[in-house]
Amino acid sequence: MQLRPNRVKEKIYAGEVAVSVVGFTHPDDIDTFGPIAKETGIDAIWLEGEHAGVDHADLGNLTRACDLWGLTPVVRINENSQGLIYRTLDCGAQAIAVPHVNTAAEAQNVVLGGKFPPIGRRGNYASRQGHGVPNYMELADDHSLLIVFIEDIIAYQNLDEILEVEHIDIFFVAPGDFAASMGHKGIWDQVANITEVAETMEDTFRRIQAAGRIAGATCGKAGLERYLDLGAKFFLTTTQEWLNDGAANFMNIVKGHSK
Amino acid sequence: MRPEIPVNHVKSHRCTRQNIESRNGSAKQFSRATGDMKLRPNRAKDKLAAGEVAIVVGGMSDPDAIDAFGPIANANDIAGMWLEGEHAGVDASTLGNLTRACDLWGISPVVRINENSQGLIYRTLDCGAQGIVVPHVNNAAEARNVVDGGKFPPIGKRGAYTSRQGHGVSNYMNVADDYSLLVILIEDIIAYNNLDEILEVDQIDVFFVAPSDFAASMGHTGDINHPEVVETMNDAFRRIEAAGRNSGATCGKAEVPRYLDLGAKFLLTSAGAWLSEGAASFMDVVNNHSR
Repeated sequence: MQLRPNRVKEKIYAGEVAVSVVGFTHPDDIDTFGPIAKETGIDAIWLEGEHAGVDHADLGNLTRACDLWGLTPVVRINENSQGLIYRTLDCGAQAIAVPHVNTAAEAQNVVLGGKFPPIGRRGNYASRQGHGVPNYMELADDHSLLIVFIEDIIAYQNLDEILEVEHIDIFFVAPGDFAASMGHKGIWDQVANITEVAETMEDTFRRIQAAGRIAGATCGKAGLERYLDLGAKFFLTTTQEWLNDGAANFMNIVKGHSK
Repeated sequence: MRPEIPVNHVKSHRCTRQNIESRNGSAKQFSRATGDMKLRPNRAKDKLAAGEVAIVVGGMSDPDAIDAFGPIANANDIAGMWLEGEHAGVDASTLGNLTRACDLWGISPVVRINENSQGLIYRTLDCGAQGIVVPHVNNAAEARNVVDGGKFPPIGKRGAYTSRQGHGVSNYMNVADDYSLLVILIEDIIAYNNLDEILEVDQIDVFFVAPSDFAASMGHTGDINHPEVVETMNDAFRRIEAAGRNSGATCGKAEVPRYLDLGAKFLLTSAGAWLSEGAASFMDVVNNHSR
């Protein structure tokens, strides 16, 4: 057997935009969404383990549902820990997102956890993704996708050195924590528009692109154009907006229809 | 040494009736006479009783997904969550967590089971369902079996047990029947042929006319828009309304007017269509954006 392709990784290195969606917490819901993802061109399912309940006991079933539809399972973990990074890959993640990476050394730690020697120090084990793949250990590094979160003003100040770290695929600029670290607490899509925050974030995107690296962003439909213009190639969006719009549209018809 | 607990903390959290009532509002949740909790309202059933349309959404399999959808449901006046146990994985072991997520947002958990079995019906209610949907009910005796499983004596034969919905409700057994919602699926041509007798069965809240099995039972598998199927279904809806009963239908946005015109008061729709529209609309921007 061949190692499953990593759709996001293939797309972003082909210069295309890759889109991931957050909001699914059950394998059956991912499986149901599979044909919709195919039809519309969604590339990945974001499994939330920084803030929500995704952990190692769930990852097998959640990532198998993604595998069935060729969707890249992207798992956000909640600590920059080498053991946590490679166990998450071993359980079936094709991509790891690490929050609050603030220095080159911290970015290098992500690489050490995410890549086998000689690049890193990932513990020797065939991931669930490697079942039946005899040369898994040789191919794994090329197939795994590493995302670091640039979401603190310290990370912005250290951006040049962070951008020099190899094997990081995506530098994800997240508005909520970014704004908070600059003294502006609030809902992420609102604080992203505060001038000081917006300008700092925009500069971050520009410098990522200027360094020849790939930027990631999170937004709803309304924010897409802005981040596409800033060169972002990887997006995280949420099902909540779609459910909200769908429910509102449906109910408008129910309420507006007089028998 | 045990840490000293601040006095005001003890006061505000002590579970006296006064404190509970001041936090939750005595009139709605608690009876002054007994200090007991009242049974949670069944939002879908209340809507039907008020002559309004109850909307139920299917497509969420995890308690966290329902919990996240809660505020959207409340903002849009969605009455219930459809939990699928005729065809999908909802069962007794998952119902506690799924229905608790619904309870938090005051959305009726409506569970479709996969057999017209009295034991299955009341176990499903015991695990937290506020509404039961029974497929393929084809005659009055089968409809009556749903009532027997869904209501306590003397109306039915539901086994005596306090449902999860009855925790803390001392008069649960006396009020439960008023709060449970029974839905039967009219989805076979035999049921249509027996519709008059089925419509005479008391205690059934919704007569749900489902197109796919209906079409299949008429020899038009997969062709729910076949004129013969549409006309038969339309007649079923008209006769349900004429008998003074509530009909239910399943549809996407486009078919809402059709079913409302046919008098449907209970509509099942799928979150899948909303995700599909949302995904398409998001990706349109991605694909059509030229830098």
